Amino acid sequence: MIEVKNVTKTYGKKENAFVALYDVNFTIPDGASVAILGKSGSGKSTLMHAMSGLDKPEKGQIVINGKNILTMKQKEIDKFRSSEMSFIFQSFCVQANESCYDNVSLPLEIANVPLSRRKSKIEAALKAVELIDKKKSRARDLSGGQKQRLAVARAIVNSPTILFADEPTGNLDSVTGGVVEDLLFGYNKKNNVTLIIVTHDEDLADRCDIQIHIKDGKIESIVGIK
Amino acid sequence: MKFSDITIRAGRSLKQAKARTLLTSLAIGVGAFTITLSLAAGVGGRAYTDQIVSSNTDVKELSVTKAAPKQQTGPQKYVENATGVSSVSTALFSGGLLNRTDIEKIQKIEGVVSVSPNYNPQTKYITRSGQEKYIASISTFSPSVTLEYAAGSTNGDLAENEIILTSEYVEALGFSSDQEAIGKTIEIAADKLSAPITAPESKIFEYTVKAVSSKSGLAFRAQSSLLISNTAAKSLYDYVSSGTRSYDSFVLASVQTESAAQAKIVKDKLTNEGYLAQSAEDILGVVNTFINVLQGILLGFGALAILTSVFGIINTQYISVLERTQQIGLMKALGMGRRDVGRLFKLEAAWIGLLGGAIGSGLAILSGIIGNPFISKALDIGDINLIIFTPLNIIFVIVGLVTVSVVSGILPARKAAKLNPIEALRTE
Repeated sequence: MIEVKNVTKTYGKKENAFVALYDVNFTIPDGASVAILGKSGSGKSTLMHAMSGLDKPEKGQIVINGKNILTMKQKEIDKFRSSEMSFIFQSFCVQANESCYDNVSLPLEIANVPLSRRKSKIEAALKAVELIDKKKSRARDLSGGQKQRLAVARAIVNSPTILFADEPTGNLDSVTGGVVEDLLFGYNKKNNVTLIIVTHDEDLADRCDIQIHIKDGKIESIVGIK
Repeated sequence: MKFSDITIRAGRSLKQAKARTLLTSLAIGVGAFTITLSLAAGVGGRAYTDQIVSSNTDVKELSVTKAAPKQQTGPQKYVENATGVSSVSTALFSGGLLNRTDIEKIQKIEGVVSVSPNYNPQTKYITRSGQEKYIASISTFSPSVTLEYAAGSTNGDLAENEIILTSEYVEALGFSSDQEAIGKTIEIAADKLSAPITAPESKIFEYTVKAVSSKSGLAFRAQSSLLISNTAAKSLYDYVSSGTRSYDSFVLASVQTESAAQAKIVKDKLTNEGYLAQSAEDILGVVNTFINVLQGILLGFGALAILTSVFGIINTQYISVLERTQQIGLMKALGMGRRDVGRLFKLEAAWIGLLGGAIGSGLAILSGIIGNPFISKALDIGDINLIIFTPLNIIFVIVGLVTVSVVSGILPARKAAKLNPIEALRTE
């Protein structure tokens, strides 16, 4: 369960101050799929960064499974992120010169997973996104859709409990985008993993259990929480 | 993140920028090359002088000359009946000569086993019946000097009527081989210097060839001189010089002591008595200082090259951080700590250093192996190698360079570690 309590985030100082998030409150149950919707500059990305501990709001609490990640030390947050969270970005962020296998291996290395256990995990993740036959190919030789599937494999390889996706289909055409969406939602339902998607794509948002609309740093509406 | 994983990732990132990595490493390689070679030349040079000194001198032996008088400015006053004969003194031995009294005085010093003045008998020529006459210089044979023989041997000492020839004279005196000369008689003629010009007097001394010395890269004394025993030299000297003004005055005397430690004590005593004593160690020290200075200059050039390459590494690594901003952002988002990110870039620098060190010292070893025979040939020192690589020196160079590289990688690594993941992920 993720509880966001009274989170306020301001950029800049004094007269240049810009309030990116203002007193945001909501709760996400485990295993839910959530869309954070809003125009660019609305604060949706800031919200995602705050929820993943990449950014530190000056006020409020973000409590994940009973722990407030905002009061954690940097090392603890890093460890928490490496074992519990994963990310998918609009621009894929795959290492073009590395093989698919090495790309997927990165989160396991960061999380200190022993070498002996890595191979099976990596191969399972590549199988899940149907890239097992590209194991040894370099990421630069993949198409856009394949790259994002590789990013999905990298995101799920260490069995996270929360999966963040920042505009996962933004750079893809509708067909390949659909494949990636299916992968994400399939994984979300099958493994009861919380999926948080930042997007401005209404169709994608409609597939989620919960839609959080955000405007000028404030929550406009939350749809879907039972 | 595990150290091994970071190391592998660091190596992999370098592989992806092959040309850049190679060029940066080559810059360090130049420094590594210079330093490896100069260390090797130092080792070789010192080993060579060590060999020279030990095969030409004896640690138990001291070379004694008369100490130079206290330096005075302006012309020196003439002193009636001054010791030594100043007319014979040369620029090298300005201290005057040793006479019989000096020899006796030295003999009495505690710890001195024997004193033998350095007789330098002046001879007219050397010949053999039925052969041409040749000019020859005669030196005293010393058992402590290592000689290489082309034929015959000495069993440590020479009898009074025995001589050691050099290969050149064997040929000149009409022997068909070195071996053939052994046991044959040769003649040396000398003039009595004190004889009046109107009635010159000369005498033929006969010697049996005991051995033939071969040319050695180590011997600097025996190369062109014919060697006779000390007693033989004395009788030759007595005949030639008795009655002259310089008779019984010597430039140099060798003092034999019981041990190397004893030689040191005797040396101090001799200094107190107003003599200049040099031990084998002193001679070695002088030569080695020379080598060390030369080596120091070379090392300085190497250090300069490395200093230049340090900026190369910093520059390369900064570019690398800029290029991989997004990757760094991703790694930090996935939970990689600041320390690990910094370590990744420092290890990349370490790889560059290792590669540069390996390339540089590898090329140095290669050129040393190729160059050694040429150097030995050019300097005419036989089979002796002047460039000697020791594993310890190579390890020292490589470890040193890796350290230098890591240190130069600190600034870029810090930049990488400090990157804000949000900002970093935003860069395309």
